Amino acid sequence: MSTLLTRPSDIAELVESPKPAPVRRRRRILAWLLVLWIVSGIFIVSADQQAVVTRFGAVINPRVAPGIHYALPWPIDSVYKLKVHQLRRTVIGGEIPDAVLGRIQPASSEFLSGDQNLLNVRVVAQYSVSEPRDFLFATEDVDRVVKAVVESELARRIARTPVDDILTTDKIAIQNDVLKTAQHALNDYKPGVELSSINIENVTPPAEAADAFRGVAGARADANRLVNEAEGYANDLIPRAQGEAAQLAEQAQAYKDGKINRAAGDAARFNEVAVEYAKAPEVTAARAYVEAMEQILPKLKKLIVDSNGNLDLTVVRRDDDAATNSNGAIQK
Amino acid sequence: MTRKTTYITAGGLALPLLFLSLYSVRETEFALVTQFGRPVRTVATAGLHAKWPFQNILWFDKRLRIYNPRPSEFLTRDKKNLVIDNYVAWRIDDPNRFVQSVGDTPAAEMRLHDIIWSGLSAALGTQDLDSLVSTSADKVQATPMLDQLTATADRAALTQYGIRVVDVRIKRLNLPEQNKQSVFARMRAERERIAMQYRAEGEQQALTIRANADRQKEEILSSAYKDAEKVRGAGDAEATRIYGQAYSKNPQFYRLLRTLDSYKKVLDDKTTIILSSDSALLKVLTRGEAGAK
Repeated sequence: MSTLLTRPSDIAELVESPKPAPVRRRRRILAWLLVLWIVSGIFIVSADQQAVVTRFGAVINPRVAPGIHYALPWPIDSVYKLKVHQLRRTVIGGEIPDAVLGRIQPASSEFLSGDQNLLNVRVVAQYSVSEPRDFLFATEDVDRVVKAVVESELARRIARTPVDDILTTDKIAIQNDVLKTAQHALNDYKPGVELSSINIENVTPPAEAADAFRGVAGARADANRLVNEAEGYANDLIPRAQGEAAQLAEQAQAYKDGKINRAAGDAARFNEVAVEYAKAPEVTAARAYVEAMEQILPKLKKLIVDSNGNLDLTVVRRDDDAATNSNGAIQK
Repeated sequence: MTRKTTYITAGGLALPLLFLSLYSVRETEFALVTQFGRPVRTVATAGLHAKWPFQNILWFDKRLRIYNPRPSEFLTRDKKNLVIDNYVAWRIDDPNRFVQSVGDTPAAEMRLHDIIWSGLSAALGTQDLDSLVSTSADKVQATPMLDQLTATADRAALTQYGIRVVDVRIKRLNLPEQNKQSVFARMRAERERIAMQYRAEGEQQALTIRANADRQKEEILSSAYKDAEKVRGAGDAEATRIYGQAYSKNPQFYRLLRTLDSYKKVLDDKTTIILSSDSALLKVLTRGEAGAK
């Protein structure tokens, strides 16, 4: 205050007359202070930041890009720098340490599903600054706003979804829906943030019913196993049957071909012989007959009887050997 | 008295006056200018403003804030108890009325709690549990109910306390502690039923697959048999035709040859034949050349 009060007198002296040395020195110091004060308005916004400049509390520049800038020095202008791209996290359904330690706090994590089951859900929302001005000035506590909105949208979404879907198929859909509706609701409050992700970190049934839920998982696995086994059975059976069918077909074809070839062979042979037979039927027939007998008779046991005699079968039985011997004799 | 002392005196008087009559309002605040304790005007725009040195200023936060009342139990129309955790987004809208009727934030939250609690319990009393918690989305009526609640709460808070209620939302639906055990029991029973259903369905599916495979196998094999027999028949027919064609040229010779062939097969070393010496073969043996005639 004292320097401010003395300054006008300095200026007055400056205009009037040459000054003694101490006065000049004091003036120089004051000039330097003035320069320093003016220079103190220079500020640097680094690459990951944006800044907001206010003059007497009112925003005059809501978005200052990275680089070197000047604002009027204190107490006229104020500069607020923000890391706009930095992702901020907030946890719904527990605290961050709980997430790390895997703890569940029923009171803060229990949600009611559409079919009135209780579930422990923990969700992590990530957001970044989209509107630095709103982020700084529009809400009292940005994190609290984000948390409340996400939690409300999550509860609403879960309250119309059956428990099975929440535990299994609908996780991604819930995340996407909550992201969309929560962003929509946030836009009404203007906290100047943009949600970048909603991530369901943990969904578990309450401890009191956990074993029953595991039982369902087990039953599902059992059912799958049964089906897989049956499919394995089918996969084994059908190719095998097809192989068998192919075998049958081949065998039939072989039979057919064999039969026809054999018939053709027989026919050809007969035809050949028949041609010769036609030339000398009687001789050929006799020759064929005799030749055949020559092939047949050696193997047989023979009894030769006179055409007038009667056959005594008792002789045949008793004298088998003799008959065989005589057989040899005839052959010679 | 020099000029210098005049300057000093003037400065000494002007500066304090300047400090007393200028004030800056930040983006986050309302300034309520009071004159001897009586509110004169509200300044809502941020920036540098002037007042008389004898006027004072009260500051109010105009930012949106979230109030989380403690979870409380409500009764729905169908007599179900629900523990509801909600939040209220609000801000001071009229500092003048606010300072006269409420004063500070904790007091404001107490008033809000009363308004919202009674509004919520009245609203829930007209709703079934189904309209809050249901798997069919079209049944859920929570949003219109809350919108209406927000509107009525806003109207009441604005006229009485100068508070704007921006939004009332349900953060969490839960069941009262004393009901939970029965809910857990129901959940367990439900799970067991579902597990049983999974098993039965699995078994059914497996049986179907097996039966289907068996049927396919039977179909494949029988149809293969059918085709095979057809092929064999065709072979037989063809062979018969060939034989017929060949042998019909000389049936007598065929009969002779075929009979002789069959003798070769039919007669073997276990066969004993009795030949008459009159037979064609042996005639020559017994009678010499005469037998060959």
